[in-house]
Amino acid sequence: MAATHALPPAPPLQRPRVLVVGSAFASAAAVMIFVGLIGIYLAERANAIAAGEKWLPSEISIPLQQPNTILFTLLMSVVTMAWAVQAVANNDKVNSYLALGVTAVFGFSTIVMTTYLWSLMGADVAANTQSVLLYTITGAHMVMTILAIIFVGLMAFRALAGGFSARQHDGITAAALFWYAMVAVYALIWITIYVTK
Amino acid sequence: MAMTDTRPESGTGDATAADTGVAHTVNLLGTGDHKALGITWIVFSLVFGVAGWIVTAIWSANGVGDGDLVSADAARTLFTGGHLGLVLLVIIPLFLGLATYVVPLQVGANTVAFPRAAAAALWAWVLSAGVFIVANAIDGGIGGGREKAVSIGLLAIIGLAFALMLATVCAVTTAIALRTPGLSLDRAPFFSWATIVGGAIWMLTLPVLVANVLLIYVDHRYGRPSDYGVPAAQWQQLSWVVGQPQVYAFAVPGLGIISDIVATLAGVRQRNRGLVYVGIGGFAILSVGAWAQPYFYDKVEDEAVYAGMAFLIVLPVLLLLAAWGTTLRAGKLSAKSPLGLSLISGLLLLLAVVAGALYVITPLELRETDVYGAGQFALVLGAALAAASAGVMYWAPKMTGREAADGLGKLNVLVLLGGGALAGLPLVVLGFATKFDGLEDAADALWVLSAVGAALLALGALLTLLALVSTGRGASVEADPWGTGQTLEWACPSPPPAGNFGELAVVRSPEPLLDAADPAEEA
Repeated sequence: MAATHALPPAPPLQRPRVLVVGSAFASAAAVMIFVGLIGIYLAERANAIAAGEKWLPSEISIPLQQPNTILFTLLMSVVTMAWAVQAVANNDKVNSYLALGVTAVFGFSTIVMTTYLWSLMGADVAANTQSVLLYTITGAHMVMTILAIIFVGLMAFRALAGGFSARQHDGITAAALFWYAMVAVYALIWITIYVTK
Repeated sequence: MAMTDTRPESGTGDATAADTGVAHTVNLLGTGDHKALGITWIVFSLVFGVAGWIVTAIWSANGVGDGDLVSADAARTLFTGGHLGLVLLVIIPLFLGLATYVVPLQVGANTVAFPRAAAAALWAWVLSAGVFIVANAIDGGIGGGREKAVSIGLLAIIGLAFALMLATVCAVTTAIALRTPGLSLDRAPFFSWATIVGGAIWMLTLPVLVANVLLIYVDHRYGRPSDYGVPAAQWQQLSWVVGQPQVYAFAVPGLGIISDIVATLAGVRQRNRGLVYVGIGGFAILSVGAWAQPYFYDKVEDEAVYAGMAFLIVLPVLLLLAAWGTTLRAGKLSAKSPLGLSLISGLLLLLAVVAGALYVITPLELRETDVYGAGQFALVLGAALAAASAGVMYWAPKMTGREAADGLGKLNVLVLLGGGALAGLPLVVLGFATKFDGLEDAADALWVLSAVGAALLALGALLTLLALVSTGRGASVEADPWGTGQTLEWACPSPPPAGNFGELAVVRSPEPLLDAADPAEEA
């Protein structure tokens, strides 16, 4: 004899989080700017090497200490950003503010180190193609870093105002997404420009 | 209330505000109402469209004889500014305007995602468009002679791209994240689906345009130590945007518009919906062209991938034409202008992709000049304009609550068909002149035909605008003026009130209004 089963009602449809979706698209677009720039850099470099020329002129010298310092600072900032997201999810306000603050400080120190690196490189933007590319790419990344710091700062203020809770913290997650994209872009710059040279 | 960044519609007022011009303008400047924003996008785009196609007509007319209708510098500006302007000031914003207005209604949302960002995108675009036009007018266009004007023009392009990307983020996020319960992606209206895939492609490729322009700007600004900022090289770095496969990306939302119109006006459910989704998605994927930059890799057009994409993109177009044909056969052919405009858009797009497939056949020597590419560009943008005009005619009653003058729409069918074909096909034919010598003798006639075609496209943009304006005198319409509406936008009053909908029932199929009309037919 066939039996019927009374199934529980289906759960309500989960709608993707609006700010996170928007931030994901914005982050993807930002990354694509650098994919374009770095693609051009690598194409020019390959053409120069294929023609038997040296890519970086002798007057440009890119040390590794500063780029490595920036890389490790940003990697630490990934941890602190994740810490911030976790703290908000746990309704831990003190740790949230601490983590967001440290992340912003890491971002600021990245900017300082980048400008120091510019002074060490010996590249004159008005001198050659390589300098134009270097300053365009690293300058654009600095702008992205500033925007990421502003985003984190705005979300920190909203957190201070009690705008986030364990159940609803899209803003921090969105800021984290953009931050991770910024760090990923720097990793790409680090390997293609600073290491490969 | 959960804290999200998408609040109910914000604005300084609604339709009952004081009806002075100043008050209305202030209201418009401060509003985050997606309906007001959408109509503003559409009106500005169509106005720019009239100007843009007139510019293209003058450029084509300059091809007659010795090309001395205008100076060489002016001809260069007409070409580069006209082509970029048609993309950034006309076609993309026109589709974004439709998306900003319609997509929230189609997905059952009460507003667009990030309304303030959507408003900021619109006004940033208007400002950047003004700067772009002025820069081009004073020889500051791509490759122009006035250095400071060129710098401003380049910054204007960056501003346009960012504004369009911001508006795209708002529209795409709305379609993904604000769908009413039950409206899964495989039930999404075709225009919303096309907005998602087309918007995603724009978000992947417009940033690369920004990268190119940024490089040109830095080099130009600091004395041109490299070749990027050299006037003769500037357009070469950006020409990929108006060439294949990238140019197809600007027609993607049009495929969604046509699909929605065909199903609704035929009065039947679209069969094989999956194939339509696949066709639109496949077309979008095959239109990614940011990688195909001849300036940085001059043999890119010889690559197998490039040729493969050029041939493969014909398939989704054929698939979609078959799907639309099947639906029309199963339903009734309606003599309404949106359907006519949709069909000519499909025809022009088919011509464009066939032209694109021929382009990669090396023995035909079609890559020796830029003329063939200009012809294909005109075909694609003519198709996109026709699809957008179809969308305006289709949704105008919803936007204004009044009938649009269908006579103007029907006239526009002929105008856009003639315009698209004449603007593009003669140049495509002229592209064969390197292979077939006799064609050079007909060059003047072909250029004249192309100029006439571009002028007709300008007229078409004007007719679309007039049709929208004509709703001011039309008869009032119901929520579903077509009588056969299938998707959610036809469930709310015309025009929609603040908040769009009251309480919506859970959606259970792609055609919720048909389900409500005849529950026995529910899929």
